[in-house]
Amino acid sequence: MSFTITCPICGKRNLYEFRFGGEDRGPRPEETDLTPETWAQWAMMNDNVSGIQKEWWYHRDGCGAWFTVLRDTCTNREMENGTRPHDAENPASNGQGRPYPPFVDRL
Amino acid sequence: MFFGPRRFWGDNPFKSSYEAVIIGGGVHGLATAYYLARDHGLTDVAVIERRYIGYGGAGRNTAIVRANQRTPENVRLYSEGLKLWPELIDELDFNLMFFDCGNLNLAHSEAGMGAFRLQVATAQFMGVRSELLDAKQCQELVPLLDISDRPKYPILGGMYHPPGGTVRHDAVVWGLARGAWARGVHIHQQTEVTGIDTADGRVTGVRTTRGNIRTPKVLIATGAYGAQTARLVGIRLPIQVLTIQAMVSQPLKPFLHHVVSSGTYHCYCHQSLKGELVTGAHMDPWPNYTTQVTAEYLKHQAEALTDLMPALKSLKFMRIWSGLADMTPDMAPIIDGNDPVEGLYLDCGWGYFGFKSGPITGRYLARFMVEECCPDILQPFSLKRYRENRLMGEISTPPNYGPWN
Repeated sequence: MSFTITCPICGKRNLYEFRFGGEDRGPRPEETDLTPETWAQWAMMNDNVSGIQKEWWYHRDGCGAWFTVLRDTCTNREMENGTRPHDAENPASNGQGRPYPPFVDRL
Repeated sequence: MFFGPRRFWGDNPFKSSYEAVIIGGGVHGLATAYYLARDHGLTDVAVIERRYIGYGGAGRNTAIVRANQRTPENVRLYSEGLKLWPELIDELDFNLMFFDCGNLNLAHSEAGMGAFRLQVATAQFMGVRSELLDAKQCQELVPLLDISDRPKYPILGGMYHPPGGTVRHDAVVWGLARGAWARGVHIHQQTEVTGIDTADGRVTGVRTTRGNIRTPKVLIATGAYGAQTARLVGIRLPIQVLTIQAMVSQPLKPFLHHVVSSGTYHCYCHQSLKGELVTGAHMDPWPNYTTQVTAEYLKHQAEALTDLMPALKSLKFMRIWSGLADMTPDMAPIIDGNDPVEGLYLDCGWGYFGFKSGPITGRYLARFMVEECCPDILQPFSLKRYRENRLMGEISTPPNYGPWN
């Protein structure tokens, strides 16, 4: 059970019970004066953080709740509540999150 | 006599300026560098690779090539790509082990057959060989297939695409690297690009862990890391990076002479020239940058294979690995340039189709980078198609049709 997601209702469960719902893109843009550019940015473009990102999950095989978690995309581990994404902590990181593990030459 | 391991390309000094810099030493990056040098005489080119060439998707795919995509724009590109392999073997003087054994896709529902009809019609319209088969004909091609009612999803028919097959993926990387290097291209491994400099809307250089490079042209060909690299210049892309796993079995005597796949079972396989069954298909449905493998997937694959071909029941898997697939919403790549940054070219979002199209895309990208005018064949793949709501229908391929719809 190394891959787990914590549902706010059911608790820590196997990740295969859940469906990934995309990274958190913030509120849906206002429909008045909505341009195709703004819509495409919100609906399709994403940040692809390598590091901690806020994302939506759906407890498909459980209670059916939608909720957000903070997960590290480099390790698949979810962060404890209150952990802030790297982007927010460190604006200088340019949204790149934390670096990859160092290269090890095994040749 | 024993010849130790030897590289097909040599080291070059790290220069502080190049006429073009290619980020990413995979099939796409190396092919572009090769064709820049071969077709356009642009040899002052550096290929910057964070790890070693072929480390990412280029060395992790399952080596299948085909040209029976769903939409005409894609079929056109992939068909040229498929015809390029024999040519490439000649001119690189490198045996890429192209084996045009044919691809057989299986359908297990009327919806799946309907999707095949559409896909076969597109392929035939574009002059690509592809045909519909019934279950009996599928079994004639692959005698091990169980076409009875016993499997969970009985086989209704298939789509057969004779010109497809497999190519030795590592050989493609090595051959292209040697070809590019022999023409003067510098290949810098273990060098990470940490920034891309721009001024007045133009690319002026890249920053790397080994120093800065001044250059007017940069190609982002970083495979699954494309979205991340593009963000260095503030471009957001509609990409999700998903893990895709693959595995090989113990070697067997030759028994499977085609690439077989089933979208419903989410499973494909072919037998390598060493006799191993190479298999894979399912993607872990949440984005991540690990290359972890999962027991869940190993189990799924064993169930799918033995349900389709019960004779494989005591087969043992030897190893499993995973790679990263950069999926776009319409499952078609993003190839663009000079928009919005002059001199910056994008080649990403290939998902799990990046290998089969590598050399052909490199050839057209090289022309794009030199003439600064997008070749017709690449135009449908521009990034602005998303804001123009002009998504390609590649997602309507049969893997998305099963007994559930």
